[in-house]
Amino acid sequence: MTAMQDMMKDPDVNLVLSLADDLLMLGHVQGDWTGLGPILEEDIASSSMAQDDLSHALVLYEHLGNRFGLDPDVIAYERDVADYRCCDLVTMPDEFDWSVAFVRRWMVAHWADPVLDRLAMGGKDLEDRCRRLRAEQGVHLSYLDDWMRRLGAGPAEARERIQAALDRITPLAGMLMEIPGRDLDVDEDFCCGREELFNEWVTAMDAVLSGAGFIMDITLPARDVIGGRRGEHAEHFIQQHAEMNEVRCEDPGAAW
Amino acid sequence: MVIDDGILPSVHAALADIPDPELPCSIVDLGLVEAVTVDEDGHVDITLLPTFTGCPALDMIANDVTRLVGNLDAVESCRVHWVFDPPWSTDRITEAGRTLLKAHGVTVPTCGGEPASRGVEFRTTAIACPWCGSHETRLDSPFGPTRCRTIQYCESCKNTFEDMKRLDHEDEASSPGAG
Repeated sequence: MTAMQDMMKDPDVNLVLSLADDLLMLGHVQGDWTGLGPILEEDIASSSMAQDDLSHALVLYEHLGNRFGLDPDVIAYERDVADYRCCDLVTMPDEFDWSVAFVRRWMVAHWADPVLDRLAMGGKDLEDRCRRLRAEQGVHLSYLDDWMRRLGAGPAEARERIQAALDRITPLAGMLMEIPGRDLDVDEDFCCGREELFNEWVTAMDAVLSGAGFIMDITLPARDVIGGRRGEHAEHFIQQHAEMNEVRCEDPGAAW
Repeated sequence: MVIDDGILPSVHAALADIPDPELPCSIVDLGLVEAVTVDEDGHVDITLLPTFTGCPALDMIANDVTRLVGNLDAVESCRVHWVFDPPWSTDRITEAGRTLLKAHGVTVPTCGGEPASRGVEFRTTAIACPWCGSHETRLDSPFGPTRCRTIQYCESCKNTFEDMKRLDHEDEASSPGAG
């Protein structure tokens, strides 16, 4: 069995990969906005957060790489599509609608916070890494929460567009809660309770939304949902993955 | 492990001369160096702390350290290790580093000061402008030219300046290591 197969068979790996793959793909997708942000500061912020997300994914891949004797780049790029544990919310096309891109990023940043808290229970090395990542993601959260409040206090167009984006994304946001592994009980244990995680995530989002005057109607999806986190990916994931791997396929080992 | 006092001072001196690629101060003044050990055969191990994990300068810093320390007389080899414990903090920046940064328009939060995150505003108390000293300053952008800095604006002298980000776990961070 190869090191990669060993890694994919380890149940503890699933939650680490879920977040790492979410951040890898979101960082890649959000990178499409570089140069196109609505204002200069926003463009810089968006690109900075995308860069952070990619490096946070790398920090988690490095942890797995050290454990299983794999190059983190190999983990990031060379798995079979079915071995990616990201949910398809992160690769859903935003059609260059800033409100959709913003609301998705805000939801994923809120998701990363309690997940990093849980991952930090996975031993000393993960604890050190996740503690740092949580602090850095905290900067994103502050920034995005601030924007959410400002948009809520903004003109009608801002409020309508954000509410419309929330209405569109909320039904898909449950994808984040999909149990990543094949063994529902083992993976739920590792999450320290899926319901608790869900409540923590939603409570933090609600606190911001209620102050901003927005509404989000979200429920915990069933445990046995099968989707991206268990390797059943949508077409848009496959396209984004192929695009992300283009240079690596063209010129393996390229460096600059 | 035997510490060779003969090599150690020269290793520290070499480190103190290595500039951060993106800031006008050395990696020692920035508080990146956590530990330096030398064994009896001249193998040097240097433990560094990354400022922000997304900092693209990390590879360059590691290369500079391995090359410049590795070139010293009596140094057989030099290895660099990045660790996250303790987490790097602005509290690790030395007084000399703070003075150098301020001269280049980069302010540093006081040790034990307010974190940059977990609040609607970043550093709610006004920062003294490094150019004119006025406290009539405001946050212009929480994301600056590098991961570790915000952009601030001074209403008084109409100049921008940068402020090093202090993260909210830093109250738990240790003070600078012996390195």
